[in-house]
Amino acid sequence: MDENKVIICRCEDVTLKEIRNAIREGFTTVEEIKRVTRSGMGPCQGKTCGLLIAKEISQMTGKPMEEIELQNIRPPYGGITFEEVTKGTITENDK
Amino acid sequence: MSKIENLELLVVGGGPAGLSAALAAANYGIKVSLAEEREFLGGQLIKQTHRFFGSEKEYAGTRGIDILRKLIDEVNKNKNIEVLLSSRVLGIYEDNVVTILNDHKMKKYYPQSIIFATGASEKFLAFENNDLPGIFGAGAVQTLMNVYGVMPATNVLMIGSGNIGLIVSYQLLQAGVKVAAIVEAAPKIGGYSVHASKLRRLGVPILTSHTIKKAIGKEKVEGAVICELDNDWNEVKDTEQLIKCDAICLSVGLTPLVDLLKQRKVKTTYVSELGGYVPLRDENMETSIKNLFVAGDVSGIEEATAAMIEGQIAGLSVAKRIGKNNKKEIEKRIEEGKNELELLRSGPVGKKIRKGLSKLGLNHGKNYNENFSEEALDISHLMKTGVPSEENLKNKLPSEEKVFDKGPIAISECFQRFPCDPCVKSCPFNAISENGNINNIPYVDFEKCTGCGICVSKCPGLAMFVVHKNFSETTSVVIMPYEFLPRPHKGEIVKVFDREGKYLCDGKVIRILDGKFQDKTAAVSIEIPKRYYLQARNFKVEE
Ligand code: SF4
Ligand code: SF4
Repeated sequence: MDENKVIICRCEDVTLKEIRNAIREGFTTVEEIKRVTRSGMGPCQGKTCGLLIAKEISQMTGKPMEEIELQNIRPPYGGITFEEVTKGTITENDK
Repeated sequence: MSKIENLELLVVGGGPAGLSAALAAANYGIKVSLAEEREFLGGQLIKQTHRFFGSEKEYAGTRGIDILRKLIDEVNKNKNIEVLLSSRVLGIYEDNVVTILNDHKMKKYYPQSIIFATGASEKFLAFENNDLPGIFGAGAVQTLMNVYGVMPATNVLMIGSGNIGLIVSYQLLQAGVKVAAIVEAAPKIGGYSVHASKLRRLGVPILTSHTIKKAIGKEKVEGAVICELDNDWNEVKDTEQLIKCDAICLSVGLTPLVDLLKQRKVKTTYVSELGGYVPLRDENMETSIKNLFVAGDVSGIEEATAAMIEGQIAGLSVAKRIGKNNKKEIEKRIEEGKNELELLRSGPVGKKIRKGLSKLGLNHGKNYNENFSEEALDISHLMKTGVPSEENLKNKLPSEEKVFDKGPIAISECFQRFPCDPCVKSCPFNAISENGNINNIPYVDFEKCTGCGICVSKCPGLAMFVVHKNFSETTSVVIMPYEFLPRPHKGEIVKVFDREGKYLCDGKVIRILDGKFQDKTAAVSIEIPKRYYLQARNFKVEE
């Protein structure tokens, strides 16, 4: 299998090769791999790649899946404009 | 100062679980706000044009889209439910404040309780060139076809033989798209056998113990290389083959969508049997955080029927917790829901779910009736190929040939134990029985059966046929279910096929029942040469 041609994170175009290299370098949590490769930082926020990366870590490190956590998820969930934020938080009285 | 609106119950997600949860709570006086990300309600139900299995109480035999219509109707009529459409939940914070993007404004809410019914997302598969245009998730294909009326491709290779893979393959055929093959890595078919048999009759190969190695194509998918797998899931040498197709559809499972739960730091754990990372929860669907509930696929991947019941249990649990009246009655209804779930999960196909739930510490002490947890027949050949064995068929045929002399009789080609009973419920002569348990295999009482053909249209698995062996000296008639367009007309000559989709003979259409009662599953009587009465199980209308 040509690892360069297998895409794990579709949003950020991260290949299996890059993920495996990161694990070999010692990044063995989904969160760390997200930070070093950008996998899971795109619009889907890791819905596609998160599980695949967790499985890859499990396979390469021998750690059972039960001991591997998914990446952290922080608000906001999905893109939002500053205008949308301010419109909702400022009430009539503030103006 | 910014404004925070107080809510009694916030339900996140307007699919089958969320709708059921909202209704269950609202019916006991709870004020519910139902937030749905899209501009319409329904979740995955909006694409389900097939009839559902399960028990009659949860709408078995009814098409997913029709179940949805009923639920939406009830929700819209209910004065206690406020529906927020195009409303994406953006965040949930430690103090349970929730932000929702609605009407291009980020609004803040403070709900007393929350039910997360956020559903699932599709799993992705790692293989070479897996980002070529033309590689779809099964959900996307279903959305394109059934919601927007767009044909995704002309010749599709389906990866995965779970119920979604099988159902979407069938729907592709209905839309006039060719399905090159269904590839399944496991040694047996993942979905219900009746769905698989339907596809085999239509000539679609199902390749178990096979996997995709790579997609082929320059600008877009032009084919795929697949290979065989041995018992240890390793590639068998020299088994590579190229399959031509213009799209590859991935249906390799769903995984719970727990992102929002993780924001709130709900405890989750990996349970492969439930599809991935799932929230820890109790039997009333409450998570590790008080007043925060889950329902449906987000709590573990299961069928829509289970999602609706879980929704009811979650909604009722909230009503019991924060409502004022009817506590006893609510408790009774929660108990009923739990019993129904137990029944749904008690057969062999529920084994995986039961195992997953026990990992969450959930079905300890529960006495599943072990009589129903194993298959009654040896269906290994059927589950490998989608075609029943001679043994299986013999088991469902009359024990004596002379029974066929009495006239038309129903033959049930349903051999797997799974929770389904529309055949039993639809027969006006009580001629079909599952021996008191919905997980049992249906048997026809040939004495009672009049050959009316009602069950042919009502079975969601298209597994009921009526056979009139001695229609004339030289011919038999088989009534077959038919869900394709164009419909045949009376007197038309059609091509008749066997259970593997092999051409048998020409047949003559002598009657078509295709009214409101049949609800788009026509029952078509085909006259064929007598020697084929036990083989003829499908036909095609030449366009
Ligand atoms: S053909 Fe009619 S009588 Fe016979 S089993 Fe079916 S519904 Fe009942
Ligand atoms: S024969 Fe009965 S149990 Fe089997 S799929 Fe049809 S309705 Fe369901």
